[in-house]
Amino acid sequence: MRQVAFAMALLAVPAAAQDFSDGSEAREWGLYGESKARFAATVVDPLCELAGDCPDNCGDGRRQLALLRTEDDVMVLPLKNAQPVFSGAANELAPFCGQAVEVDGLLITDEDLGARNVYLLQKIRAAGSDEWVAANKWTKDWAEANPDAAGEGPWFRRDPRVLAEIEKEGWLGLGAEADADFLEEWFR
Amino acid sequence: MKQRTGAVLLAGVMGGLAWGGAAAAAEGERVTVTGEAIDTWCYYSGVMGGPEAVVGSAHHTCALWCSAGGIPVGLLADDGTVYMVLKIAGDDTANGGDTQLRIASHEITAEGMLYRRDGINYLVVEQVVADADIVRLTHEDFGVVPGFAIPDPQ
Repeated sequence: MRQVAFAMALLAVPAAAQDFSDGSEAREWGLYGESKARFAATVVDPLCELAGDCPDNCGDGRRQLALLRTEDDVMVLPLKNAQPVFSGAANELAPFCGQAVEVDGLLITDEDLGARNVYLLQKIRAAGSDEWVAANKWTKDWAEANPDAAGEGPWFRRDPRVLAEIEKEGWLGLGAEADADFLEEWFR
Repeated sequence: MKQRTGAVLLAGVMGGLAWGGAAAAAEGERVTVTGEAIDTWCYYSGVMGGPEAVVGSAHHTCALWCSAGGIPVGLLADDGTVYMVLKIAGDDTANGGDTQLRIASHEITAEGMLYRRDGINYLVVEQVVADADIVRLTHEDFGVVPGFAIPDPQ
């Protein structure tokens, strides 16, 4: 019986370690499986961590970046920044490549879908700094990279590469004929 | 019998811990994976609806936005496993790169190295050996997701 109790105590360790809500000021998004999470970490290049493929400066913004959590050495993968505009988190993390940081945001956990240790990053600061940096610079980076796409409306309506793909494959990705049939019904 | 049950349970727990340690070392495994190139944020978060609605043709435009926006692209296999694509055919631009944008919503077969760590499957694609284009015609059931993906021509 004592062995069983010991085993159950061991089982409880990972569950307890998953609560990082203490001190979090993250904004709730009302998502299924979200939990506030503020933790210390190091910004790492997952390709370097996993495969030993380690270019300078985490790939200079090309790569996805991850957070190696200090408390338990878990590698958390941020999928999303704080902006509600289909934008990821790598641009927000890139200035902190290799640095110790503190982050605040939302972990997403959904065992049915296999979602574990994925994250929505809302703010970040270098370890020891008093100043948080909001994780919302993606649209500014996009505007600087796409000066010819300036105009009204959200970036995703003006992005040249997205527009080129839609021009080539259609809104559904199935070609012009499939689009025409669908659009007639969709906007009827 | 109680002692045996406890021993088995303890062995299982210790085995699990040992597996966790091995996972942290991230041994690579050569694999061939077939799956749809999905937008992992919409799939995992449910922000646009259930998982069956955020794949295939219904979600193609949003998958383009998310891929161009730097959200990690995953391969969703038929068994529900998601493989995060870190590199594809020598292109490590997984933050909004052209190679991953071009395969949005496509079902591809990829050969490469799989690394498992902390519950996430990371895939380094060495070669795309087949591209079946879009195979899930989800617009027939869901229209487009999100509904505003296609601007009203009016």
